[in-house]
Amino acid sequence: MNITCTTEKLKNAVSLAERMTGKALTLPTLHAILLTATGKSIKIRATNLNLGIEIEVPATIEVEGSVLVKGEVLANVCNHLSDATEVRLTLDHDNLTIQTPQHTTVIKCLPSDEFPTLPVVEGDHIDIKTSVLQEGIRSVYFCAAITDIKPEIASIFIYSEENTLCFVATDSFRLAEKKIHVKAVPEISKILIPFKNVADILRVLDVAPETVRIIYSRNQIAFLGNGLYLTSRLIDGGFPPYQLIIPKETLTKVVLLKQELLNTLRLSTIFADKFFQVAFSIPEDKKNITLSSKNSDVGSSVSNVSAAIEGAPIAVEFNLKYFLDVFQALSGDSVVISFTQPNKPIVVQSVSDTSFLYLLMPTNR
Amino acid sequence: MDSNLTQLWDTCLGIIQPQITKATFNTWFNNTGISKEEEGIIYISVPNEFAREWLMTKFNKIILKAIVDNASHVRAIEFVISRLPTQTIIPSNNLFSAPTGQPSTLPLENVYINRDDNLNPRYTFSNFVVGPFNELAYSAAQSVVKRPQHAYNPLFIYGASGLGKTHLVQAIGNEIKSSFPEKRVLYTSLEKFMSEYVSSVQNNRQQAFQDKYRKFDVLIVDDIQFIAGKEGTQNALFSIFNVLHEQNKHIIFSSDKHPNHIIGLEDRLKTRFNAGMTLDIQEPDFESRLAIIKEKSFQLQFPIENEVLSYVASAVTGSIRELEGVLNVITMHSNLKEKPISLAEVKVLIKNNVRPKKIISIDTVVKLVSDYYNLDERVIYEKTRRKEIVRARQIIMFVLREDFNESYPSIGAKLGGKDHTTVIHSYEKIKGELVNDPHLMKELEDIRILFK
Repeated sequence: MNITCTTEKLKNAVSLAERMTGKALTLPTLHAILLTATGKSIKIRATNLNLGIEIEVPATIEVEGSVLVKGEVLANVCNHLSDATEVRLTLDHDNLTIQTPQHTTVIKCLPSDEFPTLPVVEGDHIDIKTSVLQEGIRSVYFCAAITDIKPEIASIFIYSEENTLCFVATDSFRLAEKKIHVKAVPEISKILIPFKNVADILRVLDVAPETVRIIYSRNQIAFLGNGLYLTSRLIDGGFPPYQLIIPKETLTKVVLLKQELLNTLRLSTIFADKFFQVAFSIPEDKKNITLSSKNSDVGSSVSNVSAAIEGAPIAVEFNLKYFLDVFQALSGDSVVISFTQPNKPIVVQSVSDTSFLYLLMPTNR
Repeated sequence: MDSNLTQLWDTCLGIIQPQITKATFNTWFNNTGISKEEEGIIYISVPNEFAREWLMTKFNKIILKAIVDNASHVRAIEFVISRLPTQTIIPSNNLFSAPTGQPSTLPLENVYINRDDNLNPRYTFSNFVVGPFNELAYSAAQSVVKRPQHAYNPLFIYGASGLGKTHLVQAIGNEIKSSFPEKRVLYTSLEKFMSEYVSSVQNNRQQAFQDKYRKFDVLIVDDIQFIAGKEGTQNALFSIFNVLHEQNKHIIFSSDKHPNHIIGLEDRLKTRFNAGMTLDIQEPDFESRLAIIKEKSFQLQFPIENEVLSYVASAVTGSIRELEGVLNVITMHSNLKEKPISLAEVKVLIKNNVRPKKIISIDTVVKLVSDYYNLDERVIYEKTRRKEIVRARQIIMFVLREDFNESYPSIGAKLGGKDHTTVIHSYEKIKGELVNDPHLMKELEDIRILFK
């Protein structure tokens, strides 16, 4: 193998791939990155058996070939090659030489025939705007369960409904749903992306072209675009029928300014008890909503937030952390909170944008 | 996994392990197993697609060799991805038991319908009670799950409401899914099918609709009788049926009527529905009802005295759904009173569910049968030997004896003063003909429906 390519592109590709090497796995081969030079490009491949990635970087190839090198070493070397715009990679027996005018490094290679091929996903395919995928996943993924006890909820659930793509996540204490209108979306009955893989997928989507192609089967999904191939395991299970628990009627509806509510909640956090509880109540005069928290060691706080209130007075407690989480996904200036029975979930939405919905369970009394 | 296969796989792993490094072995062979063997093909279950891909490209040869050395009849191996282990269902009463201050959980159900195939995992063969009333349908279902896409295609199950048709067809789906994970199964009700069809017409996406249904290996359509008179839906189903049937995909229907009795069903569909196996589920007899109610009370984990169970089984005839309802009422009452319920209390509780035995007079029988044969009921009582009247009269006599247990002399006296030997002769004649005459059998079946 003997090639030259742009330092910047190689560096970016290697650093993405390096994150997906199987560092925790016992098989040393999986800690490595495979470089394959053919035609007019060099392919960079890595996998941790949960995710797999292959990125094509344009290159001038003098001699074709492939080489397997330790991911960490290669990534570190690439990070320090900023002096030159071009870099030359040459393979001589078991040594890979990486050369710029200023530096020459030689990395020991591993036998490349031990490196696994990435699964080729066969199934339905969809072309979708990368920004839609990113927005959908980002709006809900903070709600996903992080333990693997129930794999079907330790995931992001994606399905389609008429001309809408729906993204849902829940950890069974709260639930987030984002609906994005997409023209002519094909029928997707279920895609369950493991939560563990979501951060890495988002990172790759950042560098993906405007539109990516998704191919998915029951167990595996692939994202393709512009020389990029990212594949992830999917969860083969059923997401709970969450539509059933979205409250149909509202007893009390409260509209507040988002920033004011957020500031008040942050103040309450200082005095939160060990369960991070905050109490919401609506007094009889119905002009304000009162938020209070109390910690026997620190002190207490009571705040009034002006609000437009419809319906009956209420008094419920929530977990502050869960409440604060929703603000990262809420757009607009004002928030509407709908209460039903004291032991039923509440619904939090932005007044201006109803495509996002957050369900939150009150704490036990 | 059956124990022979487990043993075979253990032996194979023993052979493979020394040939590769420990790390390689642990990485690729962890959580693998043999899921099943079929027609000389061993299906090896692997945890994910990565392992499948690599075992297939890299280790196919040594695995096959290891297996063939130990089981010479094996011709090939295939890799399948194992499903999630089934989870133990935790009762969702943690809503009330969580300590104060802890966030409570959303009431998401633990048992749910799989969105992929609409099957409810609760419907399985293990909780399906088999009795004389449904054993034919059950055994046909068993042949289907053993060899889907071969035996009895299409399978058409019919019977009155609440007799377990949905349970049976869903159990077929669930069973096929667990023994053939690679097969794509879909359960749908005709109503759902129809509303999808209608919306596909509205959005001009009929092709997508057709494609969706054509990709399944097993298609189960419940309550097909609602297709009656819906021409567009019939057309759509017709073409899907043809495509699936041509490709030897399995199709299963349930209905409350025999296909031939669904009014407004096109003939081309009737003949197709009848092309495989058409079976009915009858009303359960006493023993079956007792077995069913015992099974249900076991599922509810609610022990009920045998005396009460057998009273309920004898009093509540008809559909299984009614039995379930009664059982729920009993459970609720004893929960409320926090003590087991007595027989006397049960009798009061379920008095509304008990159907009085229908009393039907000889005159009514005569009227209904003569109506069925398009005769004036008066001619039955007359002394005439016209062929069609004699025939109808004989059938009336047969029915009165067989179904209503009237005595021969009283039947004779009522039908225009016939001698009891005449009645006996008619009874025996019809009984004899019934054995070889399917038309007559059909007629009697129809007549009996009229009595209900």
